[in-house]
Amino acid sequence: MPDGSFSHPQQRQFNPYTENGGTILAIAGKDFSVIAGDTRQSEGYSIQTRYAPKVFRLTDRAVLAVNGFAADGNMFVKKVQQRLEWYRHAHAKDMPLGAIARLIQTMLYGRRFFPYYVYNILGGIEEDGTGAVYSFDPVGSYEREACRAAGAAQSLVQPFLDNQIYFKNQQAPAGQSHPLHLPLSDVLAIVIDSFTSATERHIEVGDGLEIYVVLTKGRPTQDLEGYRGVKELTTRPDGDRVFLIQRELKKD
Amino acid sequence: MDHFPLSWGRPRNDALDAFNTYPMHKRPTHHDTFADGVQRTQQPIVTGTSVLAIKYKDGIMMAADTLASYGSLARFKSIQRLHTVGSSTVLGASGDLSDFQYIQSLMEDLIIEEHTAGDHHELGPAEIHEYLAQVLYSRRTKMDPLWNSLVVGGRKDSKNFLAYVDLLGTTYSSSSIATGYGAYIAVPLLRNAVDGRENTLTEEEARKIIVDCMRVLFYRDARSLNKFQISTVTDAGVTISEPIQLETTWSFAEGIRGYGAQTQ
Amino acid sequence: MFLTRSEYDRGVNTFSPEGRLFQVEYAIEAIKLGSTTIGISTKEGVVLAVEKRVQSPLLEASSIEKIMEIDRHLGCAMSGLIADARTMIDHARVTSQNHAFTYDERIKVESVTQAVCDLALRFGESVHDEDAMMSRPFGVALLIAGVDEKGPQLFHTDPSGTFVRYEAKAVGSGSEAAQSELQDKWHKQMTLKEAHILTLRVLKQVMEEKLDQHNVQLAQVTPDKGFEILDEVRLKALIDDM
Repeated sequence: MPDGSFSHPQQRQFNPYTENGGTILAIAGKDFSVIAGDTRQSEGYSIQTRYAPKVFRLTDRAVLAVNGFAADGNMFVKKVQQRLEWYRHAHAKDMPLGAIARLIQTMLYGRRFFPYYVYNILGGIEEDGTGAVYSFDPVGSYEREACRAAGAAQSLVQPFLDNQIYFKNQQAPAGQSHPLHLPLSDVLAIVIDSFTSATERHIEVGDGLEIYVVLTKGRPTQDLEGYRGVKELTTRPDGDRVFLIQRELKKD
Repeated sequence: MDHFPLSWGRPRNDALDAFNTYPMHKRPTHHDTFADGVQRTQQPIVTGTSVLAIKYKDGIMMAADTLASYGSLARFKSIQRLHTVGSSTVLGASGDLSDFQYIQSLMEDLIIEEHTAGDHHELGPAEIHEYLAQVLYSRRTKMDPLWNSLVVGGRKDSKNFLAYVDLLGTTYSSSSIATGYGAYIAVPLLRNAVDGRENTLTEEEARKIIVDCMRVLFYRDARSLNKFQISTVTDAGVTISEPIQLETTWSFAEGIRGYGAQTQ
Repeated sequence: MFLTRSEYDRGVNTFSPEGRLFQVEYAIEAIKLGSTTIGISTKEGVVLAVEKRVQSPLLEASSIEKIMEIDRHLGCAMSGLIADARTMIDHARVTSQNHAFTYDERIKVESVTQAVCDLALRFGESVHDEDAMMSRPFGVALLIAGVDEKGPQLFHTDPSGTFVRYEAKAVGSGSEAAQSELQDKWHKQMTLKEAHILTLRVLKQVMEEKLDQHNVQLAQVTPDKGFEILDEVRLKALIDDM
């Protein structure tokens, strides 16, 4: 109405969601998988904290990155971890990667009509020893891919990955073809470049970087040795192995 | 909803209607009082403004003013917004104060329940924070939020703890935290003073930082008051100070030109 | 056993002073009245065999069903009250499908066996919000055969809800003789074909009627083809090879 009143009473509804910024990405190799995320948590223009992890080790062969609404994300990870433990008790083994992927779909779709506002990327090693990345939308659509970026800087990082991992818009040298899988050192360089670039151009990305590397059983580790402060998070010997690399990102 | 207790279909009760103001013959015979559904918090009513908190060498320090606002009205001027939980935790609240009072009663129930277990385990700040995060997240999921931003601080087993949780269930921890306007005005000052010095700042230094920020907030936040309390949690336990009156200067205001009521 | 019979064999949830649950023990006895059922596990797969008691020439032998599929990689043979087994197999099938739906993988043989055994003790009084339960224990024993990541396996369940893994197991009326025969003849290097022949030979020894393709049923679970019931043509060929 012109006088500022309304013929019908207005109702403001409580909005149960917010966006907490940040970006995650994962790349699969032949016998490894890399899953990374920055550690900034923000709301609007405020940085709430410079260290809130978005990437979580689930088992010795599976790592989950969660991005979007942080409260939903933390709750979702908690519930996944609970289901993994129940599975361990019921079936006397760690849940395989493909099974975790399907479980995440059923859990997300179970909340189809009040979704967890989170984008999930699951990385790790399959039963056959190959590196794998699964990406999800908030209601559970998923597919296995070679690489995926999600979150605030998805639109900055994904085209870069398409070019560097899938060789989109690149001509292979005459008589040669593009490699199907990149070596770990190349992948780590691409991950670090992705995040330093996203930090430069996106205000919600920065502060810290956590890179999880999952190696298939028996794979040599020498290409990880060049990195400062690599921590091993593996719990059981003679299986797939998980490592964590922590880096600083610009804080402005 | 019909707020007349006598319409709720109960027997006539002198405690509810001591002066017979509601004529019996006019009493509606039967209708469903809750037909329109129950009311949920759609917006905060009586509110508290910023809470500030930092870590320092011997523990954590938290501050909040004593004002409870009703919209723009400064309604209650000596309301305490810092609350002790157990022996190693302090809880500071901004947002709806009736919801905060409900949370205080929850905390009391929780502490009593844990105490009666008699196992000599006491909930520390990390456990209190996790519990509150679960409560606030489940209430937001029911679309019936507790309209608060809470700061939980404490020190247990010689470890400092400082974390935040709000009406959406969003959580984080940091070495300096501020809610409300404090998040915009105080956080830059707090981070500048605290980051990297969490383990060297003395209590006096921490207190000066907090008081300075409370003063800046009082100058800029229209819903604040120049009366506030400071709480500390150290190995010695929890303290909450008596209300502190801020020394403020307004004489400079007369010299300001360019906006306001002056004509030249 | 009947000498010790007392008031304690009435309630399904009352221990006797010696610490026994008679109704459960009687249920285990009931299985010994059932038809003979045999399972043999080999490296190549698991074989299940049952005797069908064709009591009348007017009875359609093919309508007696004592071996059932739980999932593509899981089969089950039974002895005792067949109607009770249907409840358990129904539960096993749902459990297996749910597992495949939720985890995109085949359920392990042991897990599905555990799920079936979880049903076994749901008799007696119900507790607050639980569904109405059974009034008596199941009167059936199952041989659950399957292939999973641990290879071919055979499990035996009884009315007490206990399950044990066996290389070869016989249950039912002829089980005592059959089990000692299996103990004699089973060996690690046994082929699937040898297991087929052994089950038929053991059945033949304990059956009253003359064994033919109409009064026995044979099934196998293999890594390649999963669960399959052998048709009468294949059955006859095996019987001829015996």
